[in-house]
Amino acid sequence: MDLKQLSVAVGELEEEKVSELLNEFVATNPEMEDAQKVLVACQEGMGIVGEKFESSEYFVADLILAGEILLTALNILKPVIGESSSVKKGKIVLGTVRGDLHDIGKNIFKNMADAAGFEIYDLGIDQPAENFIKKVQEVNPEIVGLSGVLTLAVDSMKDIVDGLKEAGLRDGRRIIIGGNPVTEETCKFVGADAFTTNAAEGVKICKGWVS
Amino acid sequence: MIIIGEKINGTIPVVKKAIEEKDEEFIRTRAIDQSEAGANYIDICAGTAPDLEVETLKWLMDIVQDAVDKPLCIDSPNPRVIEAVLKYAGKPGIINSVSLEGDKCEVIYPLIQGTDWQVIALTCDNRGIPKDVQTRIDIAKVLVEKAASYDIGPEKIHIDPLVIALATDNTSLFSFVDTMKNIKAIYPMIKVTSGLSNISFGMPLRKVINQNFLTLAIYAGMDSAIMDPCNRDTMATLLATEALIGRDRFCKNYNGAFRKGKIGPKKEK
Repeated sequence: MDLKQLSVAVGELEEEKVSELLNEFVATNPEMEDAQKVLVACQEGMGIVGEKFESSEYFVADLILAGEILLTALNILKPVIGESSSVKKGKIVLGTVRGDLHDIGKNIFKNMADAAGFEIYDLGIDQPAENFIKKVQEVNPEIVGLSGVLTLAVDSMKDIVDGLKEAGLRDGRRIIIGGNPVTEETCKFVGADAFTTNAAEGVKICKGWVS
Repeated sequence: MIIIGEKINGTIPVVKKAIEEKDEEFIRTRAIDQSEAGANYIDICAGTAPDLEVETLKWLMDIVQDAVDKPLCIDSPNPRVIEAVLKYAGKPGIINSVSLEGDKCEVIYPLIQGTDWQVIALTCDNRGIPKDVQTRIDIAKVLVEKAASYDIGPEKIHIDPLVIALATDNTSLFSFVDTMKNIKAIYPMIKVTSGLSNISFGMPLRKVINQNFLTLAIYAGMDSAIMDPCNRDTMATLLATEALIGRDRFCKNYNGAFRKGKIGPKKEK
């Protein structure tokens, strides 16, 4: 498996090529470890897509297509990537925060966390604190994931964390924030437990919390 | 949309000149430009005097087929000329055209029987271009039935309902759309095609009329067009329309064309 070639194919949005490469790979009955590497290569491809979007070479529909390609990739890899056991690792309530409509990063995280065995409750985009509170009350998740790309998302994230606190739902629960604007400082400001700009790392953090 | 590139036509003065001067490079460049711009077929029309037509078509076909990989659309009013040059085509393309004039169908249809060749069929007969929709539909039916007798299915036929100039007929677009919808209701697999410029004859700012015609015609179901793929505005209109009507998944073609600089402002080299 030429991982570089795979990353480029994802980056260039070559749907058929990606599926072809991954199907060939899965047909070789690969080790879980190799499958993880392949997944990372796909994520690197998404990184290329992100860069091209930043530089105005790609447009919104291209991002959505990229998300679709990754979803297909994950579905192809699912049987060899392991950890798709029926016993769920834990629950995550997830959403893009109010004022922000970006969901590609969130969806990548969602798909990867799902593949890693989490039970995901995805609220969608532009979600205010009350929706998070409602869902947390309903499903009592171990983890809450807040996603956003715009800088204004940081304030919304804080509102949500504050809201959870006020509702008495913060304790005994982990909160992870993800997306372009998050840093260690924002993490502190928001009152989250962890931050990441990398979906794969986010999943790793979540796994660490529930193991 | 199936794009039939119209730029190698001896009735265009610069092309006529190139044919007369045997300017191979000029023809070659036109073929490559159209192919790169997105033409699916390259129309080849000699436009010369009848005694030179076969020779000229062969010359054009050889150059174009050497320059690009796209199938040809062989364009001549004389079915016997098409008969004479068909063997020089490297792969099946489109024959432009048959109609109910003279014995066009009787000459052309047997030539493409059992092959992958397609054919453009004009809805006119010995009486000329019909004024009304019903006559066009009636002619289309005969054209398709005749084809069927040579085992040529409707999917191989591009009906050209012969758009009338808007300047002379206020309902010309509606006639076109009406004809198209009726014919498609009878033969769902048939293709409907048109040139883009007839509609604007005699009007100022023809390209605006042509582009809006293109949008409306695609929306109404037109499958192919004989057009200039190198015209960036026309291509932008075409791609935008296809995206708008949900024929361009994730706006891939539209965004891709922009990225490659095929539409939108020309990029600095």
